[in-house]
Amino acid sequence: MIRQFFIVCLVLFPFIGLFRASPDFQASSQETMLQTIGLIFVLALVNVWLAFTLAWWLMWTESRLKPWVEWLVFLPLFIPLLASLFGMYLVFAEVGLIGSRIGVGLALLMATLPYSIRLAYNGMYVIGRPMLEQSLGLPPFKRILYVLIPLFSGSIRTIILFTTVILLSQFALVQLIGAGLVSTVTTDFYQTYAGNDRSRALTNTWMLILLPLILYIGLGGLSTWFVRRLKGRLS
Amino acid sequence: MTLRLVQLHKRFGKTDVLDGVDLVVEPNEIHAVIGVSGSGKSTLLRIISGLTAADRGDVYWRDVPLGNLPAHKRNITILSQSTLLFPHLTAGENVALACPRKNREEAERWLETVHLKDRYDAEVHELSGGEQQRVSLARALAARPEVLLLDEPFTNLDPRLKYELQRFIRDLVKELNLTTILVTHDREEAMLMADRLSLLKDGKVSQTGTTDQLYETSSDFGEFVTVKGRSLPATRVIVNETSGDPVVLKRKLFRFGQLFGEYQDADGTYLILPSLERYEVDETYYIKKKEE
Repeated sequence: MIRQFFIVCLVLFPFIGLFRASPDFQASSQETMLQTIGLIFVLALVNVWLAFTLAWWLMWTESRLKPWVEWLVFLPLFIPLLASLFGMYLVFAEVGLIGSRIGVGLALLMATLPYSIRLAYNGMYVIGRPMLEQSLGLPPFKRILYVLIPLFSGSIRTIILFTTVILLSQFALVQLIGAGLVSTVTTDFYQTYAGNDRSRALTNTWMLILLPLILYIGLGGLSTWFVRRLKGRLS
Repeated sequence: MTLRLVQLHKRFGKTDVLDGVDLVVEPNEIHAVIGVSGSGKSTLLRIISGLTAADRGDVYWRDVPLGNLPAHKRNITILSQSTLLFPHLTAGENVALACPRKNREEAERWLETVHLKDRYDAEVHELSGGEQQRVSLARALAARPEVLLLDEPFTNLDPRLKYELQRFIRDLVKELNLTTILVTHDREEAMLMADRLSLLKDGKVSQTGTTDQLYETSSDFGEFVTVKGRSLPATRVIVNETSGDPVVLKRKLFRFGQLFGEYQDADGTYLILPSLERYEVDETYYIKKKEE
């Protein structure tokens, strides 16, 4: 019991400081907030789509290239992000994507996609190939709607949340690729951390925590509602 | 309406699992493919159902090559040993999903066919192994397939339930006029259910014939004993108690494949019953001694 208590304290320790000052919930730049939410939406959607597409291929393929593709796709997980980020910076600079939203979006996609593929692949692995094969007898639309989305709802939710948290944690990436021209709440908030305004910094911190939390609860509710609707159509 | 497999080849790594399989399954027949574990039986079914692509050769249904046609367009369903019902759906919803019109009434009719009508709203984890297998069967049939593939569907069931389901499925597919392929390593099961059998050996079909033909002529199928100098299939032989003459069981009784198991003694050899008259077959086809 003591061990468990210690672990919980260790996990929660960084948040203790947040309760030592009262936040002042004044809205920060609305444009930045909308831009961030838009970026999360697009990035999460593309991540889910690409991650499941590749994980599905990896699950079924008998290609000899499979081990190589797996290795290459998961390689970025073992390389510090700053290293791959600099690689992106050099390429993006040549094709004129530095300072653009597309450049920032692409860089964030590249940073998050290996994690998303791993999550999708693990999700499929847990459900198992025999179960997924049962769904192959159904037409694609029916299969995706009635079987795959409900079965993978947990993995989809985790990918969206993970993408969101990574996006909200990235300061260096957005600053480097965005060249200060593209801002997210993180780059916006970071200025306050560098200053001495504790109350403002605390408000921003709460925003960073609440955004994924609300998203997580919202997605959970959406998933339950969706499965209920589907079941209703079968009854 | 014939299902033909022509020169099917499949290699995994350096092993030729299927090395030129040719097989013809006649319309509405139950055809058992027998082979030891790893002989490629399941791979054969996966190729027929479109879950795995053959390296060479093709499957023909009504003389049309199925080629790379995806599984959902083949009108072939597969029932495997694991029940694999979708856990987020109830028993009935699993069946309704397979119905072309996703219709509750239709799903209930299929559940009724497998004697589970009142279990529509039961969660999958609430069902017993046998019930799950019957729901799986209802789901497989609800898709209105023309070909049903049975991939050792009775493996995980207890003997009594297994016998019950074997008979039930056999009768049902006959009633629905389905062309059926059963793969199994269990000869008795194959003898009980199938009209014709094929033996898969070294990646090829080595023997094909009716159950009677193979049982009486092939040592791969029949267990032979010598009675009064005659070599006869053991499980089909009884010996008259008084005269000691061997009597071969009639086809009708032979169909009750469950009898085979009951003949086995601890050494794995078959017992020869002294006289059939002293025994009776109950409603579940268990053989037992008549009370004097």
